[in-house]
Amino acid sequence: MTRKHVHIAFAVIALALLIFVPLGQKNYILYVLTSWLMFSIAAMGLNLTLGYAGQISLAQASFMGIGAYVTALITLAGYHWVFGWLAAMGLTFVIGLLLGYPALRVQHHFLAFVTLAFNTIVFLVLRNEDWLTGGNHGLVGMPRPDFFGISTGRNLQFYYFVLVLFVISAGVFFWIVNSPWGRAFKALRENPVRAESLGVDTRRITLLAFAIGSAFGGGAGAIMSPLVQFIEPGSFALIHSLKILLMVVVGGAGFFYGPMLGAAVVILLPEVLRFTDGYYLMIYAALVIVLMVYSPSGLIGIGQKLMQQIRPRQEVRKDMAKGAQL
Amino acid sequence: MIRKLAMTAATGLALTATGAFADVVIADVAELSGAGAAAGAVWHDGVKMAVEEINAAGGILGEQIDLREYDSQTDPQNSRAMVQKAIDDDAYVLLGTVYSSSTVVNMLVAQQNGVPQLTGSESPTITAKGNPYIFRTAFGAQKGLPKLGTYLKDDLGAQKIAVIWANTEFGKGGHDAFMAVAEDLGLEIVADVPTEQAQVDFAADVAKLASAGADAVFSYMTEEESARFLIEAEKQGLGLPIVGDTVIASQKVIDLAGEAANGVASHVGLTAEAPVPAIQEMAAKFQEKFGYGADHNAIKGYIGAYTVKYVTEQIGEFDREKFAETMHGLCLDAASHPGVLMDVCWDETGEMSRASFLVEVVDGAQTITKTLPAN
Repeated sequence: MTRKHVHIAFAVIALALLIFVPLGQKNYILYVLTSWLMFSIAAMGLNLTLGYAGQISLAQASFMGIGAYVTALITLAGYHWVFGWLAAMGLTFVIGLLLGYPALRVQHHFLAFVTLAFNTIVFLVLRNEDWLTGGNHGLVGMPRPDFFGISTGRNLQFYYFVLVLFVISAGVFFWIVNSPWGRAFKALRENPVRAESLGVDTRRITLLAFAIGSAFGGGAGAIMSPLVQFIEPGSFALIHSLKILLMVVVGGAGFFYGPMLGAAVVILLPEVLRFTDGYYLMIYAALVIVLMVYSPSGLIGIGQKLMQQIRPRQEVRKDMAKGAQL
Repeated sequence: MIRKLAMTAATGLALTATGAFADVVIADVAELSGAGAAAGAVWHDGVKMAVEEINAAGGILGEQIDLREYDSQTDPQNSRAMVQKAIDDDAYVLLGTVYSSSTVVNMLVAQQNGVPQLTGSESPTITAKGNPYIFRTAFGAQKGLPKLGTYLKDDLGAQKIAVIWANTEFGKGGHDAFMAVAEDLGLEIVADVPTEQAQVDFAADVAKLASAGADAVFSYMTEEESARFLIEAEKQGLGLPIVGDTVIASQKVIDLAGEAANGVASHVGLTAEAPVPAIQEMAAKFQEKFGYGADHNAIKGYIGAYTVKYVTEQIGEFDREKFAETMHGLCLDAASHPGVLMDVCWDETGEMSRASFLVEVVDGAQTITKTLPAN
């Protein structure tokens, strides 16, 4: 069995689990699982920007916010959710390009500052432009869509609807990172000077990675509108961008399954640690610090380190040994 | 012998199982961590104390209350998930949340599932949405603020008012309600300063208020921000009367702001200092049990838990639909329902009315200056 076969088998088993595990679960579990899928999509986008193209963005929550508000306004106006979704992804892609064009002149931590400022601006616009966004009161009562007469109103149906979107997003993501673009992204992350000398247009490729990553954020936001059925500016503040960044870093930036694992940890771990009462935030924070010290390439990095112990002939990717450069 | 043992074990198991089944689950979804912990944790302690008392006195309709706590982390989305979880756990009635920005989200879930919810939130929007399952434990800002407006105009003789408020769901609700009151009474707003949730530095805001030429300051923020504002106002020697609604003169703010809270006047719906023996008794018990003073949130939680008991006993069964129906238009008098502490009524929207007080902070303690009738 080749490596490719192992990957396919793993993906099939994971998908089967995602299909069958929610059956018979209560609403709360379904809600948490749906949130996890949604955040995985947002984190996948950031993984493309951070893990593959090596650019730090602290604006992923604001792209989710733009997507969520666009979808909310369109669906509340009586149009189908699909139009909201397409508009959300399209608009965040364009905003990603517009923001990225000047912002990517500066890179790494400077880009982080620019995106941080952008996130704050989006938050303020959402809060202060009452006539459009409802201000602090937010927007409420977004309907869950129907497809060919099938309603997604119930939580289990909505979960499967989000699962389909998740699989599409993961498929697109997989295709991108294995396409010539994906290789250009990686070349750029590892050594921009060498990539440029080989004919890779660094500005264009970085911009593209940033814009596609933003569009994934917009897509996740389009799911949030009908999932929560209430959106308000506070849900897209800077802290949530940091949360998505944490998902990517904890899971393993630059790995295909990294953001999904990271999103699961960030969403589920506080729940698992709840029995410790007031201490769970401290334990959670300590665990993240230990993880980052021991394995900067996240949980997948730990997995690879362990595999290295068991099967020493398998060599870890040299480019991933240090993790994505933060 | 073995058979006997097995029988005993089976009976024991059956008894415990029945016991567990017979308990009625009441869920308290509150801000136990995050920016709202100062309010949510106190509310939760109030609920806890009332539930312990009710259980010690035989429970509700002979069944013990199984109180479950859920931490919203002061995050509206998380509070929605927690309400969903509480409903999955078959909660009979929900208590909480305290922060209005969370309540407006999670009350939708309670409504969809037909579960009555007694909230500690005071934003006017909550009862304006036509949700038949939401009930307050303290009246909304739109009921309290007219009383405060009259106080500003008639008692303080203030004409020019500077307003400082938290730019959140809670603060915006109070701000808009106060603006309407000011317009009605012909008060002039000379400064309108919004602040952030969890804001730390109030230096610029206080400077703005000081330079506005106001006769008095109206403040509408949550606990920690109110305390930081008061400390900064004292530091800069603002020298204007500061008035607010409920929060600004609450025990939590007095504890946090220390001397800076002296002189603050406020309209409060509930206070441990109220000249009501039942409240003072409850507050003394609370102080003894938890080692800190009860504030309006503790009293709200306490009243909320007792309300569940009285309403359920009135309908005679655990029926959520009947519970919600009965509470609309219900009045409970404190004489025959001591747990509600003061006479209280709910209207068709779940809004409540109750007598309230004007207080002033003197030497680090609330002093009642006036008792105002229910409106």
